Amino acid sequence: MFPHHRRRRLLGLAAASTVLALTAACSGGSDDPPGDSTPDADATPSGAITVLTWRTDLVEDGTFDEYVTQFKAKYPDVTDVKIEGITDYEGEVKTRMNTDSYGDVLAIPGSVTPDQLGDFFEPLGDFDELSKEYRWIADKTFEGRSYGIPVVGNVQGIVYNTKVWEAAGVTDFPTTTQEFLADLQAIKDKGIKVAPLYTNYKDSWPLTQWDGARGAVTANPDYVNEMTQTDTPWTDESDSGVIDGLIYDVVAQGLTEADPTTTNWEQSKQLLGTGEVATMVLGSWAIPQMQAAAEAAGASADDIGYMPFPAQVDGKFHAVAGGDYNLGINVHSKNKVTARAWIDWFNHESGFSESQVGLSPMIDGTVPAALQDFVDEVELITMNPAPEGKESLFADIDTASGIVTTDPKYRQKIVDDARSGARTKQQVFDDLNAAWAEGRAEAGA
Amino acid sequence: MTRTLTAGLASTAKYVSLVLAALVMLLPLVLIVMGSFKTNQEFLATGPFTAPESWTDLSNYATAFTRGGMARGFVNTVLIFAVAIVGTILIGAATAYALDRFRFVGRRGVLNLFLLATLVPGVTTQVATFQIINWLGLYDSQAALILLFMGTDIISIYIFLQFVRSIPRSLDEAATIDGAGHLRIFFRIILPNLKPAIATVVIIKGIGIYNEFFLPFLYITDPEKRPISTALFAFKGPFGSQWEVICAGVVITIVPILVLFLFLQRFIYNGFTSGATK
Amino acid sequence: MTTADTGLQGPTTAAAVAGRAPGSSSPGGAAAPGRRRRRRSTPYLFLLVPVALLLLLTYVPVVNMVWYSFTDWDGLDKTKELVGFDNYTEVFTDPENLHVFYVSLYYFAASFVQMVLALYFATILSFRIRFKNLWKGILFFPYLINGVAIGLIFLNFLRPEGGLDTVLMSLGLESLVHQWTGDPDIANATLASVSVWRYMGLNFVMFLGAIQSINAEVYEAAEIDGASRWHEFWYIILPSIRPIVGLSLILAISGSLSVFEIPKVMTDGGNGTETFVMRTVWMAFNRNMVGLASAMAVVLLLVVLVVTWVQRKVLPDDEVDLT
Repeated sequence: MFPHHRRRRLLGLAAASTVLALTAACSGGSDDPPGDSTPDADATPSGAITVLTWRTDLVEDGTFDEYVTQFKAKYPDVTDVKIEGITDYEGEVKTRMNTDSYGDVLAIPGSVTPDQLGDFFEPLGDFDELSKEYRWIADKTFEGRSYGIPVVGNVQGIVYNTKVWEAAGVTDFPTTTQEFLADLQAIKDKGIKVAPLYTNYKDSWPLTQWDGARGAVTANPDYVNEMTQTDTPWTDESDSGVIDGLIYDVVAQGLTEADPTTTNWEQSKQLLGTGEVATMVLGSWAIPQMQAAAEAAGASADDIGYMPFPAQVDGKFHAVAGGDYNLGINVHSKNKVTARAWIDWFNHESGFSESQVGLSPMIDGTVPAALQDFVDEVELITMNPAPEGKESLFADIDTASGIVTTDPKYRQKIVDDARSGARTKQQVFDDLNAAWAEGRAEAGA
Repeated sequence: MTRTLTAGLASTAKYVSLVLAALVMLLPLVLIVMGSFKTNQEFLATGPFTAPESWTDLSNYATAFTRGGMARGFVNTVLIFAVAIVGTILIGAATAYALDRFRFVGRRGVLNLFLLATLVPGVTTQVATFQIINWLGLYDSQAALILLFMGTDIISIYIFLQFVRSIPRSLDEAATIDGAGHLRIFFRIILPNLKPAIATVVIIKGIGIYNEFFLPFLYITDPEKRPISTALFAFKGPFGSQWEVICAGVVITIVPILVLFLFLQRFIYNGFTSGATK
Repeated sequence: MTTADTGLQGPTTAAAVAGRAPGSSSPGGAAAPGRRRRRRSTPYLFLLVPVALLLLLTYVPVVNMVWYSFTDWDGLDKTKELVGFDNYTEVFTDPENLHVFYVSLYYFAASFVQMVLALYFATILSFRIRFKNLWKGILFFPYLINGVAIGLIFLNFLRPEGGLDTVLMSLGLESLVHQWTGDPDIANATLASVSVWRYMGLNFVMFLGAIQSINAEVYEAAEIDGASRWHEFWYIILPSIRPIVGLSLILAISGSLSVFEIPKVMTDGGNGTETFVMRTVWMAFNRNMVGLASAMAVVLLLVVLVVTWVQRKVLPDDEVDLT
């Protein structure tokens, strides 16, 4: 379900030609068939690799240095693991993928479409084989081969400051978006320094996190697949409509930060910790970061709570569980053996997923204590992969429509319009639906 | 009487406008300097005009310098500058020498090529230049920047063209009589006599390279290779909640250029005026 | 034109001298063909690297860009399909693409403000004034600061309850306090003003240099004739700096279309502040629409060429003749 499939707009033709080029390359009996990343299973990891990560905070605080030391202790022949933390991960890595130089191990950017995986990444194994060991690898799988393994699993919901919510007299999770809005209003009326809900508009990628609720609103694990079947995904009842409608309403009703252009991600953690911000829509991966920031700011980690998206089906909350970024290997890597060793080590031995209070990506992994309460109250859904042969359909439509749901730009625009009133919510939906329909026509859905 | 009064008023207005302009120019800078001496708590709690409790606490500077990779940024910038400037000077002077001292088939054409190129803003073509740099295998290398800095600097070539004209040809001729070849004339006569032009180019180019952001942003990703401008940019992400450290980082990038400016004022002004009018 | 025959160098010098004075008869005619070839090749050898770089880094990209602009290339595929003028249609029909041109108008307008201010300060500083060097230094220095640093300086200065707001409050001008980058009506004006802050000094120093190169006798003569300061400005200063104003104008146009770092640092293109360069980079590299991005770049290039051409027609600039 990982919410990124950003793509080019003139896709109809371009994608067709990619596929053609690929088929040609395969059927033409190319000299260099896509092989397994462990051509020589016995080879000992050695030499140097470069690892790209989006977790600049963990690079900054030395956590990654520690990982590197441990990894090198296990594989003494490895001379160097260079970690590059990247702030604008999606944007910068996507630019670098126009060249061969994008590290050896990297998290696969969400905007890489399934049919492109093989061009950029080394297959890690067959889906059937890997899925016995790992969860959530389906969306980085194309034609039976898997290209990425998630480092940690997340559930998608809303992180909030328990003290602030309680002070406003809210003790139960809101069950509808209306109730959610009313609660935020209550928080606002109570007097909050910055905002009841913080959008992180300027850093913009947090806006894509709202997509985590797709499927949870109507408890439909096929929601994203079904989007490809309709010309009007944005309605008052649909997941997309409820999510984007909520963004519109929450901004239009003045429940977000006054000046969205001056938001700051690192600062937002602090603001939530100190209760100057009450709520942010983020995956569960954010919980430990928020807790740490709360403690650093002199508050308590217990002040950080996690709630499901405000929607119920049959009296029950639902939340989507899925992989965070999937680690893959650069197809141009000169040291694939060591790269693979890093991925395996990272998943099995680094303790990363525990430290991130995430669900383990391993099939037999455990649920961390901090999420247990949430998991007890909320029914988890795993989104179904796209049916065989239609792996790229969603991305194709998404790109051809020009909306590109994986790119925060369209949500920034919704925020802009909600603030200025340039478009009503209905107009926003109408425009999105019109573009989507056009995209479907262009992509031949 | 009225005449002196209006003159007096005009004079007052003149100074008022200058003071106002100076305030507008300096205030944002002063606040950054003040911010850089505050602690995190202080920065959040006090107003921007409240003086920091300690003017001697350099811990933000230490953090910015060490964790922000500023030192490396400076070294990289100097390195890129040093190579690019030598290349720019040789290229500019060689072009000017060939175009001014020789008449040959295609001279007009070459001149026009250079003339036309001034009209192409470099940023517009990066979409395609990127592919060329990549094709050369120079993506994510300082060589890419060096090549772009010296290969696309048409302005410097013009400055050299202007100055070469003013070098008396009798000098060339005398050297020829002494048996000097063209290379020798170029290195012994032309280059030394181009010193004012070289000074101008060094200054304009130096400031340009020090401040260049777009090219390193596009072409350099390895933190080890970053020049100062993208180092500062990368630094603002992880330090987003520590503005006092960002302030220190900003001051660190300004200080060297301020020192240079104070010492080389006259040359810098001349550089820009001659660079612009020539 | 006496040329001592000193071996290989002789004929080449002759060529150089002959070249300088095309009217004179060439004594090199007597030289051996081999030497002739060598001396003829000399300028080409000197130009080899510069022209190669010029072609490689300026002309090849321009030609490629034009070609890409007629294809659907994504920057990755081995093949490109011709799509005719589709990309250009897209440039002119997608409102978000048109918007970046609209944004550049803010910067273009700002560059006029910038030139007027620069001209004003250059004029008053060209007359007798106290602390001349101090004022000059203060007005010019911002130009020397790194663009990223400037973005950060103004993020700090313009943030809510930041420096500017505090100043306005203390002056009792609460009504003027705005969300400087948050209010969609003024966000672009704010960013363009930061750009004026940054570049005004350069214009100012260029104008000042031009004004100061005016012969002092001209002023003296004018003063004897009883010319007022205004007359001096209008009839002496302005005409003498016309070429530099023309040059500044061209720089203003290409400058206003290539704005990047200040909005990149300050708003990252949010709230309708996306500029041309930001959008093409995003389009070409993040969205892999190299064809469309190239079409935008070609349009931009054409705009710059046309404007320059018009400017040259309107304000003929003798400095341009470089031969």
